[in-house]
This record gives sequence, C-alpha cells and structure tokens, in this order.
Amino acid sequence: MDPAVVTPDERPRPQVTLAVFEGPLDLLLHLVRENELSIWDIPIALVCDQYHKKLQEMEELDLEIAGEYLVYAAWLLVIKSRMLLPRREEEQGDPRQELVDRLLAYDKVKRRASELAGLDELRRGMATIAVHAPVQPRDDELVLEEIDVVQLAGALREVFDRHQREHPPVLELEPMRFSVREKIYELYELLQEQRTFPLLSHLLTRPDRLESVTLLVAALELVRLRTATAHQRDPFTEIYLTPTGEPLPTEGLSDG
Amino acid sequence: MAEREQLAAVCEAILAVAGEVVPVETLAQAAGEGTTAEEIEAALELLRSRHEGATSGLLLERVGGGWRLATRPELEGVLRSFLGIRSRARLSQAALESLAIIGYHQPITLPEINFLRGVNSAGVVRTLLERKLVKVAGRKQVVGTPLLYRTTKEFLIHFGLNDLNELPQPEELDATAGETVSGP
Repeated sequence: MDPAVVTPDERPRPQVTLAVFEGPLDLLLHLVRENELSIWDIPIALVCDQYHKKLQEMEELDLEIAGEYLVYAAWLLVIKSRMLLPRREEEQGDPRQELVDRLLAYDKVKRRASELAGLDELRRGMATIAVHAPVQPRDDELVLEEIDVVQLAGALREVFDRHQREHPPVLELEPMRFSVREKIYELYELLQEQRTFPLLSHLLTRPDRLESVTLLVAALELVRLRTATAHQRDPFTEIYLTPTGEPLPTEGLSDG
Repeated sequence: MAEREQLAAVCEAILAVAGEVVPVETLAQAAGEGTTAEEIEAALELLRSRHEGATSGLLLERVGGGWRLATRPELEGVLRSFLGIRSRARLSQAALESLAIIGYHQPITLPEINFLRGVNSAGVVRTLLERKLVKVAGRKQVVGTPLLYRTTKEFLIHFGLNDLNELPQPEELDATAGETVSGP
C-alpha cells in the first residue's frame, strides 16, 4: 500500500507548511516524542486521534491542509482498523511496520539535516580569497574560456573597421550618360521652334545635374559656333539664347 | 626545511590569486618540475598551522577535493558591513532535509525524496539547483525515467567537506538511535 505521495508527479504544488511541521512524518514524530512513546510499539489509536485533532486545529486556523497530510490521516485509520482485527502473527506482520520504517528513515533525515544546519550556520559567512592579480595573461596566449560572444563580435568589428580605414572606397567614374553633341542638336531644335529660349530656367529644371552641365556646355558651344547668342539683363537673372540664323555646321562639333 | 618554507609561500600565493579550490596536483604542477604531491601536502600543512597559530583573518582549508584560502567565518559580520550587503539567507529546514537526502543517497530521484520526506519537494529541489548545491545527473531507468540528483562541488565547499565520505554520520555518535526517538 503506497500513499499517493510517491507518485512521480513533479508539478509544483502550493508550498504549504502547517504550523512548524515539515509534513505528516514530521507531525507524527512530534506526537511520538510529545507523548514519550516507544517508536517500536506505537499506540496507534492514540496517535491517530491526536493526528486528526491536530488537523482539525489547523483547519480551524484556516490553514489549507496539504494533500500529503490527508493521505497519512487515511493511512493511520487503515492501520488503526487493522489493529482491531484479529491476526495471526506468523502470516501477517505488524500493520504498523511500514509506518515505523518510514518514521525511522525520516528521523535519520532530520538528524542529518540538523548536522548540515550546524555546518551551514558555522560556514555560510566564509568567502574564498581572490587577490586580483596585476599581471594579465600574455597577449599571445589565447585563453579561450575568458572570451565570450560579445568580445568576439567586438574583435570582428575592429577588423572590419581597420580594413575599411586601410582600404578607402575607390573613386568611381560613372560612364557619360549625356553627350554634348546630342545636346547641341537638342538645343538647336528648340531654338528653331521658339525665337528666344530661356536657358537658365531650362537648366535649373533638369532632373539630372549631369544633364544640366552637358546642356550648358552645349549652349556655350552653340555660341562659339555663332549659331546662337546668349544675353542676360542683370546678374543672376534669366539667360536667353537667341538663334543668329546661322545654320549648325556639320563639321567641328564637340564630341564630348 | 627551507624548501618546505619556500613551497608554502608558493602555495599561499597561488591560492590567493586562484579564488577557488585548487587540487594538490595543480599546485604541484605550478610549483615546478619534480615537485611531488607529498611535498605540497607537507607545505600546506605547515601553512595551515601558521594561519591557525597567528591571529590571521584568513584560514587555509582542505575542502571540495583541494585547498582554498578563505576568510574566517566569525568575521562575517565585519565583512558584510564593509561590503554593505545583508546576511545570506539561512537554508530552510526543507532545503536541509532535501540536501541531507540527496547527499547521503545520491544519485536519487525526486519521487524518492518525496517519499522519504513525506511531502512534495519539487520546489525545494529547484531552489537547491538554483543555488548550485545539487545538479542533475542523468535519469533513472525506471518507468517515467525521473531525473537523478547529485550534490555538487559547491555543496562540499559550503559544508566544509573534502569528499562525500566526510558527511557527518550522526547515527554513529548516538548509539541509542533506533532504540527510541529522542529529541534533537
């Protein structure tokens, strides 16, 4: 007959300590001592009654009684009833035997625990000496256990940074996307359509700076070729291109 | 004799910077070629007696399978107030009982601990695991394969034991144990 306390159920149950007792075995040992009983011949009826009385007191104090106490309460009743039945010694052992074994085993645990408590009391204030050594491990000595992931990541970062410092990005030249010759023709077309062309506005509204620059060079080229003239009323105001009537020469156009 | 003095000084310095329990073999290796464990043991005994004789705030002890330098337990209060920390919580009765069971019956499973104590001890064992006084040591090959628990080196150091054979045997001291259950 095994009480439910030995189920391999490992779910934590609410920790309930009743009065000063660690559990039903602790309470039973207390009752044995209090009544100065011999553990080898426990008057089970007396202990059973006192045990139940104790549980009642706990209930009156509104203490939640842990399941283990109830299991032992039931077990005590079983033993008590068996004691009342006539039995033949040679066939069945004493119905109290298992309870006695458990009480003795638990008493042993308590004695050992009290030895450990003494040592704990004596020693828990001790601290291991650790003088901080001024000498760090040599740099070339790789102490792997002292390196964690964060340090490793930091070292990698440093390598990347140094690599970047020592290898600055190369100056990249983009391929020419606009040609002056193309822009000259473009401007020339525009000048044919309208007599006076607002060059500055046109330049400033180009989405691409490179295109604006190419257009400016093309405009200067048109002026050099005397196909157009440029004029401006005041500094920073609009620059107008006006065709001179000269046709665009087919030779000598800048290829840039 | 001068050589032993020299070895004692070496051991003392090593133990001071080690900050943990150092096995005799490690000390012998560090002391240099040809130093035997016996020579180290003799030097450590000399050192221990010197610490005991003098009014030193430190002591040397053999614990957890090696040797360590530690502060004297009676100086706890002074050190706590210097460091500005509160006293460490005493181990509860439940924790001590569970530790006693694991210490003397290891490796042992939780259901067995529960059975011996008469109450569920899952929470207590978890606390002991957190405090590194016990560790998981595999599973028992029975139905449910419950975890097996063992005590740690930290356990030995905490209770001042060199190995598990040094666990106190209170029943040996008390010849009447088993006859009657007397008060503690």
